[in-house]
Amino acid sequence: MTEPIPQHDPTNARGRSVASEPTPRHDPTDARGETFASEPLLEARGLAATRAGTPVVHGVDLTLRRGDVLAVLGPNGAGKSTLLAVLAGLIPPAAGAVVRHGRVAAALQAPALANRSSRANVEAALAWWGVPRRARRERALSALRTMGADHLQGRRAAGLSGGEARRVHLARALALEADILLLDEPFAGLDSPTRADLLDDSAAALTDPRRATVVVIHDRAEAWAIADNVLIMLDGRPAAAGPVRQVLEAPPTPEVAAFVGFSGRLEQADGALRMLKPGHSTLDPTGDVAAIVARRVPVEDGVRLELTLPNGRLQALSPLPGPDPGESVRLRLEPGVTFAAPGQRTATDTPLHC
Amino acid sequence: MEFLWDGLRRAIDLLLSGDDEVLDIVWVTLRMAFWSTLLALLVGLPLGLLLGLARFRGRGGALALVNAGMGLPPVVVGLVVALLLFRGAPLGGLNLLYTLDGVILAQAMLAFPIVAALTASAVQSLPDGLLEQARAFGASRTAVAVLALREARVGVLAATIAAAGSAFAEVGAVVLVGGNIEGQTQTLASAVLVRVSAGEYGTAIALGILLLGLVLLLAGALTAIQQRQPRTVLGRPS
Repeated sequence: MTEPIPQHDPTNARGRSVASEPTPRHDPTDARGETFASEPLLEARGLAATRAGTPVVHGVDLTLRRGDVLAVLGPNGAGKSTLLAVLAGLIPPAAGAVVRHGRVAAALQAPALANRSSRANVEAALAWWGVPRRARRERALSALRTMGADHLQGRRAAGLSGGEARRVHLARALALEADILLLDEPFAGLDSPTRADLLDDSAAALTDPRRATVVVIHDRAEAWAIADNVLIMLDGRPAAAGPVRQVLEAPPTPEVAAFVGFSGRLEQADGALRMLKPGHSTLDPTGDVAAIVARRVPVEDGVRLELTLPNGRLQALSPLPGPDPGESVRLRLEPGVTFAAPGQRTATDTPLHC
Repeated sequence: MEFLWDGLRRAIDLLLSGDDEVLDIVWVTLRMAFWSTLLALLVGLPLGLLLGLARFRGRGGALALVNAGMGLPPVVVGLVVALLLFRGAPLGGLNLLYTLDGVILAQAMLAFPIVAALTASAVQSLPDGLLEQARAFGASRTAVAVLALREARVGVLAATIAAAGSAFAEVGAVVLVGGNIEGQTQTLASAVLVRVSAGEYGTAIALGILLLGLVLLLAGALTAIQQRQPRTVLGRPS
């Protein structure tokens, strides 16, 4: 588990040779109070991966230390799950290297519980992990309690609802007390109240200072709740990386900006591209920008307006009833983000590191 | 229809009287079925797991072979095993021809492809991600195989029932390899064959009823084990 995966592609410019001295195997049962904040637990260099012969992940570099929580965000098909599987060692990298200084546990996207009781499922995971029999019950119950699922301990997996199965699934991942925990969309497929409950209950447990954690997520809101750093994957490539606030509020490229919600686009006189979120535009009769309402989409607590401007389009939120399509409105705009020359600066020009 | 009633009466008489000859046949049948099924499971389960879970060159061909093996003609297998066991043949030194051990070997050869093919198909139809998740939590190969057998237990027990059933029912291999010797290699099925040839329909039917009873008893017991776990069939509570 701890040995580095050999470099498969010697020509890879970024993948420097990886130190191969053996690292001590972490006994999952020992007390792990000591932390070496500076010592990386998980490193990837120039990582690439293929699925069924098709390249789906390219050029990923990352370093995680104890206590780090990295959210991997991206649209469907961006290579997030494949990246996670490579980091977990479930599929070999096509190029580059992964170095793990500690034991890795990965909770895959489908809960895939065995047809046994919830507690037996957690205990089975502990057995696979190598925890002695006498310690399993205690640790299983404690993990189920952490996930607010101790009342489900005697229930069979087939009788659990989607949200309950997720809780048990996360409990068995947490019970292992891995040095490196990889979670693939832990909140996928849940309705929003269930998702919010689970997020509230698990946010603290998922950010354990003794562990490095990578969470693949779908929803930006979850990144805010759980992670310190975010890696945005677009088309199999890292498109942005850094602290959550920095990446989500000041995205480095128009592509990333569009993905993180800057849906409005205005061409500036100097050829620059200004991008805004719906929340950046406010209807205001004294505003200095004029626009025409193209479409009106009812949303929770109001309407979302699609606005046409001479130099682009914007979205704005308005309380009910809001203006009708065809009406002229005036807007007050916040700055949003501006890209000097659209499409020129791409993620590959600047090495990303998180 | 007269002889059916006759047979039934005769079967009850035989059972109640505790006929030594019949008890011998039953005992030989049970020993043969037990050991040949056990042997078939010992070979067939690991092979089925390998074919169902591993990815290697020639896997498709091997699967096709065990699937074809489910339909092996007992007479042909019996003939091949008998030829191999003849004095002077490659396996002649084992002195298994016309012995119960030889019959057990032949019956196991008939049953192991059934076990392997049904086990492979049972573990292949496990839900996606179940075994990969176990690996992601550090499970060893053995632990993954145990999990697969456990989760596919309904299919694996079906394979066991089919293997044991074939051991009870086959006669071709018993006659050719075992010689159908009373008290040594004669099973209920091959005894029926002998009685029919001799025109003793009553005894044949009596033995046949005994055989059916045994098969029902065994299948019932294995089905009870198979269905022991309560399974949610209609939806799930929300």
